Amino acid sequence: MRGTRAVLHGVSLALRAGEAVALVGPNAAGKSTLVRVLSGLLRPRSGEVRLLDRGLGGWSREALAQLVALVAPEDAGASSLTVRDRVALGRYPHRGPFRPFGDADHAAVARALSQTGIEDLAGRPLATLSAGERQLATLARGLAQEPCVLLLDEPAAHLDIGHELALFRVLDEVRARGVAVLAVIHDLARAARWAERMVLISGGRLTADGHPDAVLQGPAAAEAFGVSVRAHAVPTLPSPLYSFEAGAK
Amino acid sequence: MRLGWVFAVLVAAVLIAVTSAVAIGSVRLPMAGLVGWAPLEPAHQAILWNVRLPRVLLAAVVGGGLAVVGATLQAVFRNPLADAGLLGVSAGAALGAVLAVNAGWVSNVFLALPAAAFAGALLALLLVYALAHLAGRPTLHGLLLTGLAVSAVASAGLSMLLVATEEFRVKTVLFWLAGGLEGRSWPHLGVGSAFVLSGSVLLFLLARPLDLLSLGEDEAASLGLPVHAARLVFFGVAALVAGAATAVAGSVPFVGLMAPHALRAVVGPPARRLLPAAFLAGASLVVVADLGARSLSDRYDLPLGSVTAFVGAPYFLLAIRRSEERA
Repeated sequence: MRGTRAVLHGVSLALRAGEAVALVGPNAAGKSTLVRVLSGLLRPRSGEVRLLDRGLGGWSREALAQLVALVAPEDAGASSLTVRDRVALGRYPHRGPFRPFGDADHAAVARALSQTGIEDLAGRPLATLSAGERQLATLARGLAQEPCVLLLDEPAAHLDIGHELALFRVLDEVRARGVAVLAVIHDLARAARWAERMVLISGGRLTADGHPDAVLQGPAAAEAFGVSVRAHAVPTLPSPLYSFEAGAK
Repeated sequence: MRLGWVFAVLVAAVLIAVTSAVAIGSVRLPMAGLVGWAPLEPAHQAILWNVRLPRVLLAAVVGGGLAVVGATLQAVFRNPLADAGLLGVSAGAALGAVLAVNAGWVSNVFLALPAAAFAGALLALLLVYALAHLAGRPTLHGLLLTGLAVSAVASAGLSMLLVATEEFRVKTVLFWLAGGLEGRSWPHLGVGSAFVLSGSVLLFLLARPLDLLSLGEDEAASLGLPVHAARLVFFGVAALVAGAATAVAGSVPFVGLMAPHALRAVVGPPARRLLPAAFLAGASLVVVADLGARSLSDRYDLPLGSVTAFVGAPYFLLAIRRSEERA
């Protein structure tokens, strides 16, 4: 529930280690709400979220933050912290307020900066960066947490194509280490190329869950977005290209 | 290292300010005597130890404490122009203190004034917090507007109290409200420093949670910070420090705004650097302001609060203008 309005109804979802899940759906379908419920920021009115077979309530705050990283659009009013400071705050779940950083922490920060390709920006205040660069800094913060579940809300929102491809490559590297990745993605074609599983949320309900090709070519997607979807097999590509036309068939 | 130089300059500034402020006054104390190169005559020693030193040190402590509170509130509210005054802290402290004066407690118990001021400051902050949370989790705007409302009510209560207060006490209250360190001595320094210094050190130690809060509630919560509890702790300590400072020095506005705002551009916003730097800058600022308050007029001590306001208000306007230009 958000305020006094029920946003999600009867959504049931499971994430496996190393999985790449794209969460798609029309605007205001409840995708961001779902991501925040999964991360523990919002508590569901009914039902529960379980992590590693334990309900979220059974995990301490620090333990949860060490295991689940949420990468979401920044609150308005970019802080004037530097990129490095912001990424370093990703180590807070592991260090707490007082313990000084050790080699492992510095290594995690350095790795996160280099994976996202923003080492050159490390000393710059966040407020002087473009929206896309700030996005990458937030992602780096999430990587520095070294979580086992990475939840992303529109991570590619302000990224140019080069950075967008780099982002998904980083997500694949992270998955290779066993991290479960769920990302809200607006670009359906991009989502279909990257994800091995697509979950469609429409009107607060989960209307499709399966392989991206199956979901996009199914009736639920056409109805949710009000478009007709056509798949085009291309010999040089491993998966089909998609085109969309206004007006469902 | 650049940061090292900045802190060296800040410390030097405090030392120079303190030494100058101790030397200058209605009676000039010789510099040589002060630094120990020559013996100080007994009359000068009396002035130094009984009048100048406690007052100047208290100015430094008050200035440092107010600056640290300002920096803390700016991080919690994610607004570089937040100030204790905005959250009803100063008004609450003033109301508490005036209540204590009015009820005659102050003449009986020495610590009544700072205790009442702290209680007023903390109550104001808690009231702001509780009221803002009545309709669920408040937005930042909600918190600030509630602070404004509570300030207004506290000020109104203050005025009502003054009307009902005996005339001779009104003058005491008014002078105290205008801010000033006249007649402050070692007991004031002892009580003031105990609260201000311990509170400030606690805030220095909580630098990381403060940085987290400045990133925004959601991000802080997702990184494992208990956001509400953290805010309460910061409010409580801020009220303690601001309340104690207001109790000994009255209302000294804009220090909490100027010192952190100016230093942020130099040392950056991370609390582990900004809070100590702001403390040092605030200390120098109020020591110099108090010196000005004493020296600018031959006949009276000017109110300390007026001096900081005359400097702080233009600075504040400039800062607003700059931030709007940048936006």
